Amino acid sequence: MISAFILKSLDRNISVCIAVLAAVAFIVPALNLLVSTESIFHIPTYAVSLFGKYLTYALLALALDLVWGFCGILSLGHAAFFALGGYAMGMYLVRQIGSRGVYGNPLLPDFMVFLNWKEMPWYWYGFDHFWFAALMILAIPGLLAFVFGWLAFRSRVTGVYLSIITQAMTYALLLAFFRNEMGFGGNNGLTDFKDLLGFNIQSQGMRASLFAASAIALAIALLISSAIVRSKFGKVLVGLRDAESRTRFLGYRPENYKLVTFTISAMMAGIAGALYVPQVGIINPGEFAPANSIEVVIWTAVGGRGTLIGPIIGATLVNFGKSIFTAQFPEIWLFALGALFVATTLFLPKGIVGSFRQMSRSRTTRKRADTPEHLQVDKVGDKGANLPAESLAAE
Amino acid sequence: MNIKACMTGVLLAGLLSATALQGAFAAEDTIKIGILHSLSGTMAISETTLKDAMLMLIDEQNKKGGVLGKKLEAVVVDPASDWPLFAEKARDLIEKDKVAAVFGCWTSVSRKSVLPVFKELDNLLFYPVQYEGEESERNVFYTGAAPNQQAIPAVDYLAENEGVERWVLAGTDYVYPRTTNKILEAYLKAKGVAAEDIMVSYTPFGHKDWQTIVSDIKKFGSAGKKTAVVSTINGDANVPFYKELGNQGVKAEDIPVVAFSVGEEELAGLDTTPLVGHLAAWNYFQSVDTPTNAEFIKTWRAYTKNEKRVTNDPMEAHYIGFNMWVKAVEAAGTTEPDKVIDSIVGVSVPNLSGGYSTMMPNHHITKPVLIGEIQSDGQFETVFKTPGLLVGDEWSDYLPDSKNLISDWRKPMSCGNFNVATGKCGGKGS
Amino acid sequence: MHLFRTMHRVMLFLCVILLAPISQSLAQQDNRIDINSLGQGNFSQVSDKIAKLSRTGDIKLVPVFEALAAGDLYVRKTDKVVFIAKANSNVLTLTDTITGTSAGEGAKADFERIKVNNNLRRAVRTAIGALTLLSPDREVRLRAAYSVFSSPSEDALELLETAIASEEDGPIKSIMKQARAAAILKSDRSLDDKRAAVKTIVERGDRDALSILSAAQGNADGELRKDIDRALEHLHSVQALWDAGQNIWYGLSLGSVLLLAAVGLAITFGVMGIINMAHGEMVMLGAYTTFVVQEVIRSSYPELFDWSLIIALPLAFCITGLIGLSIERGIIRFLYGRPLETLLATWGVSLILQQGVRSIFGPSNREVGNPTWMSGGFEFGGMMLTYNRMWIVIFAAAVFLTLLFVLKRTRFGLQMRAVTQNRKMASSMGIKTPWVDALTFALGSGIAGIAGVALSQIDNVSPNLGQSYIIDSFMVVVFGGVGNLWGTLVGALSLGVVNKLLEPYIGAVLGKILILVLIILFIQRRPRGLFALKGRAVEA
Repeated sequence: MISAFILKSLDRNISVCIAVLAAVAFIVPALNLLVSTESIFHIPTYAVSLFGKYLTYALLALALDLVWGFCGILSLGHAAFFALGGYAMGMYLVRQIGSRGVYGNPLLPDFMVFLNWKEMPWYWYGFDHFWFAALMILAIPGLLAFVFGWLAFRSRVTGVYLSIITQAMTYALLLAFFRNEMGFGGNNGLTDFKDLLGFNIQSQGMRASLFAASAIALAIALLISSAIVRSKFGKVLVGLRDAESRTRFLGYRPENYKLVTFTISAMMAGIAGALYVPQVGIINPGEFAPANSIEVVIWTAVGGRGTLIGPIIGATLVNFGKSIFTAQFPEIWLFALGALFVATTLFLPKGIVGSFRQMSRSRTTRKRADTPEHLQVDKVGDKGANLPAESLAAE
Repeated sequence: MNIKACMTGVLLAGLLSATALQGAFAAEDTIKIGILHSLSGTMAISETTLKDAMLMLIDEQNKKGGVLGKKLEAVVVDPASDWPLFAEKARDLIEKDKVAAVFGCWTSVSRKSVLPVFKELDNLLFYPVQYEGEESERNVFYTGAAPNQQAIPAVDYLAENEGVERWVLAGTDYVYPRTTNKILEAYLKAKGVAAEDIMVSYTPFGHKDWQTIVSDIKKFGSAGKKTAVVSTINGDANVPFYKELGNQGVKAEDIPVVAFSVGEEELAGLDTTPLVGHLAAWNYFQSVDTPTNAEFIKTWRAYTKNEKRVTNDPMEAHYIGFNMWVKAVEAAGTTEPDKVIDSIVGVSVPNLSGGYSTMMPNHHITKPVLIGEIQSDGQFETVFKTPGLLVGDEWSDYLPDSKNLISDWRKPMSCGNFNVATGKCGGKGS
Repeated sequence: MHLFRTMHRVMLFLCVILLAPISQSLAQQDNRIDINSLGQGNFSQVSDKIAKLSRTGDIKLVPVFEALAAGDLYVRKTDKVVFIAKANSNVLTLTDTITGTSAGEGAKADFERIKVNNNLRRAVRTAIGALTLLSPDREVRLRAAYSVFSSPSEDALELLETAIASEEDGPIKSIMKQARAAAILKSDRSLDDKRAAVKTIVERGDRDALSILSAAQGNADGELRKDIDRALEHLHSVQALWDAGQNIWYGLSLGSVLLLAAVGLAITFGVMGIINMAHGEMVMLGAYTTFVVQEVIRSSYPELFDWSLIIALPLAFCITGLIGLSIERGIIRFLYGRPLETLLATWGVSLILQQGVRSIFGPSNREVGNPTWMSGGFEFGGMMLTYNRMWIVIFAAAVFLTLLFVLKRTRFGLQMRAVTQNRKMASSMGIKTPWVDALTFALGSGIAGIAGVALSQIDNVSPNLGQSYIIDSFMVVVFGGVGNLWGTLVGALSLGVVNKLLEPYIGAVLGKILILVLIILFIQRRPRGLFALKGRAVEA
């Protein structure tokens, strides 16, 4: 039954994309580990890590697309969930250092030693077990999203008000995590990781595995998202996005739908953060910065909002561009990035994927009539959700 | 069609990466040097100057014929004040550009972020900023001041010359102020200062509204004892802090403020007339009157084509670090990091304050400590200079867990955290 | 006996008169030696010499001391003679220390500047104070009284008593008396004198009194100790009251900064519904305009410096307004009806503007000076009010009222409201809606620009300036209720005051976190902000 459900949720594009991700998850590590460094097919380790990082960003953008593209919730605080997942992972990794820290203290991490802490704060307990950390990676962002969403959606906070309070949330967390008294390492954050699940975190094999894990996590998240948006539940979400009052009058309870989606999305962001941390080797409160959340929105918009695949492409492209530009044109790269954002909004208002689809559709509609199940959505949506109807419909 | 979209994206990414990789096969007859300073974002304000300083130093060296008969080539990247990006860029520089050494980082967190990369890929990082200590790594050379090369002499000066008995330790809430203040607290208490005569206050990064804190300082200062403020307030927050001090009439004659992160560069954004007499402790001031310094300032101004451009302490640190690297490379006859690490310990080069700085086995350098008072022209006037040079103390003697640790990267010890109590390498060694 | 004493006095008087010229020149000679010796020795030796010189009571020493404190005293290397000198690149214009006449010029290399530190400056301040206590100029005496008060010492007691006896000006006299009282507490005078002194000091009722008495508390005992304890208790309770007032003032001043930063956004975001991420950069451009204006003034018209802000205001308004206009015409007008996409575009614009400013002006802080009327502060009871904060509060109020007037009482304001409330209807009434849109955006940007002029007085002028205000601005506008100017006012002031009331208890960081949590919870209660717009207003 489940497989039937999953199969139903797949359209051709999504399944191709999942297949590509799965293939990448195996081929890239293989090219990195098995092919000799002399060969032109060899992928250097740093590139593996770099692209692994992009994949986690892509997962974060996908999570945002689920709430923004399909539910009309513009979260300007998604980086908070990402960072919380990252911190949960970071805490596990710090506990794995054991007595290999600079002070050789078997009980306390280095930053606690030099701040003269005598014992470990209670919230660090349990993080020496991977299963516990893994649970927390899902539970903490999920719980925060649940509580936050429960409060916000129940009192019908919508639109820009919702966006700004999500921003307030991530900003408050940023300030809180900067405080050294919090016991998360303050501004320096958590770093100097050694092992993950008993393997050296810097080894080539570990890097390749983390890359594979990111690709697979992204594929699974894509599968789940696709399943959600293609189910009846997903149709209600789109209805909410485009005409919340109308949907409510039809007897649906918007707050429940939004809450579930928001929580799932936050958990995905948490997983992305958890995969991100071992690949970059540091987690620090800077990840909570409101600007980071805005960037996620931008990746999603560049790729194409409400398309699931778009955010993946957007996140990868923008970050790849950033990597190249900061190295090649360190003085002027911000001009290029800024111009890219302006140009995208002006010339590709539906993002890369959205525009592709539009082009292809205008060609196909000339050939054959629209499919009957194609959802016609009111174009004059409220809350500024003015996506073109065709990209909403999950075909 | 969507498949196309998906595929195009992947293809595009692949193509771009291929072009990026080609950077690796550039001309081989130069020695590349990485410069890892933020040129955008919050830290650009401090770090951009250091990038320019490095470019100048490399340029000057090339005029002298380069190193080992090869020209030096600077590779500049922008880590954009984004800490994980620092690690990524460091990896890029070492793996892709094959640089011989990297000069960079400003904040502690950026150094912590790149540390594993330098260890893993075995390359050299020259770190030019005063920092909190409690670290000594084989691949890192700390050319800025450790707490004992800045904070402790400053406190001594105030206690002896100004008769200060009451202390406000004000800092931005991050690791450098936290550690420095911990060390200072322990030090002051050891000197007999009572706990109620020490006030510690932390503020967030970029704090703007100093009204409450300045009035707290005034309140704390009205207890009838001579009071001073030891400020570890970070870069950006200093301008509004000093403006508020000036406007609320906190005069240096009454409550002097001694700062460890305020240099000529920070003062350039301020009218210093109301601040005359407030102090800073560094290892170098632009106003230092030596021929090498005059020459350095002249070259710097000519290079930047700006007659008013100021110099500061971290620039001197890069000057020292770069010259040490050049000397060590020439002694080793190669730029191979392992050889350079061995040959650089003991290398002495002239500093800008009229003496020589030496790289010590703990990868910290010897420096004089200068205490200067702010003048109305935005410069410092040295009012005190330690008679000799101080060796950077990586493991502070004033922190319980680090007082038994020493560091010596010479063979056979080659250890950054040797415990003299247990006789073992590796911290506490339980 | 009596006669003899009188005779003696007369004789002495005659002697003094007769010998005066000789003794004067002798004293001058003495002074010259002492002044020249200022060039030698370390700081504490020099400080002793200053004290010695000041005991001569020679008022002519004042310019020398002033020059010393200002760092304008130089020693000629060859003969160790000290001069007052003004440096002008490599040439020094010399003035004789005793006669005050010009002593020609000298090359800078032949002279060495006498260094000063805080200790010396303090010594000089006390010395000048003591020397000028009897000055005929009221202002000078007042300053002297203050400086003697702020560094009381037993040495000054006799001088103070003479000065008090001859002083006729009430306020100066009372400060002198307080200075005398402070000095008595440090001396070994009788208990009664000291108890009287405590009474005199308590009358001040301010922090200086607190400081003097706390210092005296340590070595007092018996009755005096009790007096001081009681006095301190009283002073503390008075101070606590003033502190509360002070905190509210700080809150208002922070609130007015928030208001200034947010009020432009209240137009572009609140009224027009554009999520204007480039708002902060408009503030930054306003600050940079001030910088450029001041640079020009500094190099060409230094006498106009005090007018720099007033000149910068209209310029900043025009420049940022024009930039706003071009952003609206070039980008935003294509995005109406898609407010969330304005976020993306304006974020891009903000990156470009930031980097542009960084490329043109460099990444480091730029110096924007405070004009004299914005420097310093004054005591108001037990409160310290600084001029720059005070002017910013006034300025914020003025900006707010002007804006309110424009919106409510002018034709443009009417059109603006009409367009935002019902675009189609407004258009059919003959209002050129695109034009109104552009002007509204320009107005919002222009106001951000003039806010930048004000904020340049209290903040860094760097490319990051805008970034630090953007989040707070959005919070204020949303908290107050989008689309309502009064909401922005109340929002800004209440956030400022609450923040400053919390700060003394839980610190700056926790205070801010708590405020953010409160905003989040508040929005749950009132999902449309403090002053929600009723009816079918624009939704963003």
